[in-house]
Amino acid sequence: MIIDLKDVNKTYFGAQPLHVLKGIDLQIEEGEFVSIMGASGSGKSTLLNILGILDNYDTGEYWLAGKLIKDLTERQAADYRNRMIGFVFQSFNLIGFKTAVENVELPLFYQGVPRRKRHTMAMEFLDRLGLKEWAGHYPNEMSGGQKQRVAIARALITNPRIILADEPTGALDSKTSEEVMDLLGKLNRDEKVTIIVVTHESGVANCTNKIVHIKDGIIGEIEENTLHNASVLGAGSIMK
Amino acid sequence: MRDLFTEIFESIRRNKLRTVLTGFAVAWGIFMLIVLLGTGNGLMNSFTQGSGSYASNTISVYGGRTSEPYDGLQSGRRIRLQDQDLALTTGPAFTRYVDEITPTVGTSVTVVRGKKKVSGYIEGNYPSRRDVEKINLKYGRFINQKDLDENRKVVVIPQKMAENLLPEGRDIRTILGERIKLGNLMYRVVGITASDLMSSDNLMFAPFTTVKKVYNKGTEIDDFTFSFHGLETEEAHEEFEESYRAAVNLRHRASPTDRGAIWIDNHFTQNLQLNKARRVLNIALWIIGLFTLLGGIVGVSNIMLITVKERTHEFGIRKAIGASPLSITKLIMAESVTITAFFGYIGMIAGLAACELLDKTLGSRTMDVMGEQIAVLINPTVGVNVAIEATLLLIIAGSIAGLVPAMKAARVRPIEALRAE
Repeated sequence: MIIDLKDVNKTYFGAQPLHVLKGIDLQIEEGEFVSIMGASGSGKSTLLNILGILDNYDTGEYWLAGKLIKDLTERQAADYRNRMIGFVFQSFNLIGFKTAVENVELPLFYQGVPRRKRHTMAMEFLDRLGLKEWAGHYPNEMSGGQKQRVAIARALITNPRIILADEPTGALDSKTSEEVMDLLGKLNRDEKVTIIVVTHESGVANCTNKIVHIKDGIIGEIEENTLHNASVLGAGSIMK
Repeated sequence: MRDLFTEIFESIRRNKLRTVLTGFAVAWGIFMLIVLLGTGNGLMNSFTQGSGSYASNTISVYGGRTSEPYDGLQSGRRIRLQDQDLALTTGPAFTRYVDEITPTVGTSVTVVRGKKKVSGYIEGNYPSRRDVEKINLKYGRFINQKDLDENRKVVVIPQKMAENLLPEGRDIRTILGERIKLGNLMYRVVGITASDLMSSDNLMFAPFTTVKKVYNKGTEIDDFTFSFHGLETEEAHEEFEESYRAAVNLRHRASPTDRGAIWIDNHFTQNLQLNKARRVLNIALWIIGLFTLLGGIVGVSNIMLITVKERTHEFGIRKAIGASPLSITKLIMAESVTITAFFGYIGMIAGLAACELLDKTLGSRTMDVMGEQIAVLINPTVGVNVAIEATLLLIIAGSIAGLVPAMKAARVRPIEALRAE
C-alpha cells in the first residue's frame, strides 16, 4: 500500500472554525490510477495538500510508502516531496524565466545532482514526452499542452512514488485535455506510475481506473472504473 | 556555486534598472566613506607634520614671561634660560628620567656670498640634535663632535638658502666646502638640509660652542631639549612636568605654578594627544560614512523585499518540488550580498580614485597661514587595510540587507504554488 489515510481530520481555524476533512480513510495501492472527485468546497484540495505534504492535518495518520507523515520539519517535508511526490498543477507552475529543460532539471538540482548529469536526464525525459526540440524554449513560447507535458516531465524526473495531479486539464481545451489524460494513462499502464488526479470534471475522472467521490469532507462512493464508462457523457471524451 | 550565481544573475537581469538605482546608493555610501577617510588621513598627516618633527620621547623648554608677581618681583618679567638650568635638569632631582640634553643658542645674521645677500638665523647646536629634531640632511654632513671640540666655524645651511646664494641653475652641491660670510665672520659650508613644506628656509646650524663664543652669549641659552625615559602615562608626565616647572621657576624667582615663566613642549604627550585626535576623527568619519552607507543598505533591503514578494509564487513552486527553506534563504542572501558587494566595489574604486585625485591636486598645494607654508592635505589616501575593512563591511552590509527578505522568502508556504497566478 502506497498511501494509507486513517481518520484524517483537518479544521481551518478562522473567525468561524471550518471542519474541512471529517475523518478521511483512504487506501491507494501502488500502480493505481485514481481520481478524487468532488465539487468546490468538498475538501478535495485540502486532501490533495495533505497528500502532497504541502499542508498539515490535525488528527489521524497518513502513511506514505510506509512512512508516517506527521510533524515533519520543513526540511524533511521538502525532502519527502522532492523524492516521493511528483506534482502536476492546473496552472503548470513552470518557472517563467527558465527554459523547459531548466524547469525539468530543477527537482534534481535540489537533490544535489551534478549539472551535466541532470541536464542529460532532463533532455531524456523531454525526449520521451516529444518535447526535445522545445528544450531551449521558455514557457511563454509554448502552448498549454506543451507546458503541461514539461510539467509532467518535471514531475517524473525524480522517479517519484506517486504523481499528484491537481486539475491537470483545468487550463486546457478539450483536445489537449484528452492528450494529457492519455499521457497520464499511458504512464500508468506502461511504467506502473501511481497517479492521483484531483478534479471536479467527470470526464477527467472517467479517464482514471478508480474514482473516489468526496463530499463535505467525507469520502463517499468509490467506483471501480476500469471500463471507463462512469461518465454520463460516455467514454472517450472530455466535455468542456 | 555556479548554479547559485546563474540564478542570481538571472534575477538581476530581469530587474536591471531598479538594481542599478539601488546599487548606486550603495556605491555612493562606500565612495563617501573612502573619500571621508582619505581626507581625514590627509588632514591628520598635515597636522602631524605641522606640529613639528621631534623624536617622541623628548621635551623642549623655552623661556617665557612670568604671569604672576612672586617673591617681590612683578609679573611680565622675561625669563631667559641659562647654563644653570641645564645643570638643574641633569642634576640629581631629575636624573631618574632625563637622558641626554642638547641646548641651542642662536642669533640673526646676514649671509653673504659674493654679491648675493640673504638674512638668516644661525643656531648653535649639538650633533645629537639631528636625531632629536629629525633634521633631514640632503647633502654633506651635520655638525660633529670635533667641530664642537675645536670651535670650528662650520655651518649647515638649508637647501633654499643654497639656491638663493648660488647663481641661477648651479648645482647646489657646489657650495659644499665653500666659505660664506655670516655677519663679520667666514664659515665653511659642510652640509645642506632638505627644504620641505615644514622646515624653515633661513635656519642654519653651527657648533654650539662656536656660536656661544663668537656671539658672546655668556651663560645664556635660547632653549634646550632633553630626551627622557620611564614616563609611560599621561599622569606620570603631568606629575613630572609640575615638579620640573616648579624647580626651574624657583631658580628664576618665579612662582612654582606660573605656567608662563617657561614653556614646556612635551612631544610625547603631544604625540599621544595627536594620536587620540586621529582616532577620534577616524571614528567620527567612520560613523558618518556608515550612516551614508546605511541609506544604501536600506535600499537594497527594500528591493530584496519587493523581489521576494514578486517571487512568492515561484518560491512556492520551488518548495513544492523540494527546495528546502535554507536553499531559498541562501538564494536571497547571496543575491543581496552580490548586489551590495558589486556596487560597493565600484564605489570603493571610485573613492580610491577620488583620493588619488585629491592627492594629485590639493595634496601638493600649500596655504599661507601667518607667514608659514601649511600643506592642506598630505597623502589623503587610505591604506589596504581600509579597503579590506570596507570589503568585509560590504559583505556584512549585504547580509544584513538580505536577512529579513531572506527569512520572509524562506517562510513562503509551498501551498502558494497551488494558487493560480
